[in-house]
Amino acid sequence: MAGAPPISLDALRAGDPAALAALFEAFADRIYRLALSVLRDPAAAEDIVQETFVSAITHLDRFEGRSSLGTWLYRVAYNASLDRLRRRREEPLPADEPEDEAGEAIPLPRSLVEWTLTPEQRLADGEVAAELDRAIGELPESLRVVFLLRDIDELSTHETAEALGLSEGAVKVRLHRARLALREQLSVYFSERAPQGDVA
Amino acid sequence: MNCEELIRYLSDYIDRNLSDELQADAQAHLSTCRNCHVVLDTTRQTIYLYKQTGRRGIPVEHRVDLFARLQRSLADRKDCSS
Repeated sequence: MAGAPPISLDALRAGDPAALAALFEAFADRIYRLALSVLRDPAAAEDIVQETFVSAITHLDRFEGRSSLGTWLYRVAYNASLDRLRRRREEPLPADEPEDEAGEAIPLPRSLVEWTLTPEQRLADGEVAAELDRAIGELPESLRVVFLLRDIDELSTHETAEALGLSEGAVKVRLHRARLALREQLSVYFSERAPQGDVA
Repeated sequence: MNCEELIRYLSDYIDRNLSDELQADAQAHLSTCRNCHVVLDTTRQTIYLYKQTGRRGIPVEHRVDLFARLQRSLADRKDCSS
C-alpha cells in the first residue's frame, strides 16, 4: 500500500509498544475515514478504530500475508462497520446496491456547466467543504466506500477489491458511478453559484 | 467513439486504463465534443477537490485518548490471558 511504512509482525506479536504506535500512526486515520464513510458517525468511527486494532493485534495469527497488513486492517474495519450498521435497528440498511455489471447502463450526465475554483476558494470556502460532505453523504454506502479508498486514500483497484471483498470489475463500476454522481451534484451546486462568479 | 461510449469509458480514460486504440479514439472525440470535454474536466475537478479535502483523520483532541484506550484494552486482555 503506497505510503505505508513496513511494520514488524514479530514486534507486534511480542507486544512491542513502539510497533503498536507505528501501526496506529500508519493506519488509524485511514480506518477512521473508512468507518466514518460507512457509519457517518464520528463517535462510532472511533469505536471501530479501537475494535479494529484490538481485533487485529489479538488475531495476528490469522493474518496470512496474502494481502498487505493495511488491506487486512481495512477488511477487518469494513466488516466491523457493516456489522454495526446492521445492528442499528432503528436505521434502515443502505439503499439497494447498484448493479455491478460493466454493461449496465450508466446514466448520462445532465449538467454540462463548466466550473472552476481557484485554489484559495477550494481550501478556504467552508461552504464548499460542507457541500462536498453533503454530496458524498448522498451516495449509497457501497459507492461511497469505493470512492474513498480509490480516489481519496489512493488504493489501487486490486487493493480496494481485497479490502472490501469485491471483484476488481465491481470496484471499477462502482468508482465510475460514484464519480459521475458526485460530479453531477457538484455541477448543480456550482452552477447555482454562477452569479457570484465561481463558475467559468 | 460517440458521447455515450465516451462516458462509459470516462473513468478508464482518467485512470489511463484504456488500450492505446481506445485512448486515441477518446482523445479524438474529446477534441471535437465540448460537452464531453466539460464532463471530463469537471469529473477531474471533482476527484481533485475530494482528494484535497477528504483526508480527514481522527480529531486531534481525541487521538491521544484513543491510543491510550487501545493500549489499556490490549493490556487488559494480556492480563486476562496470563
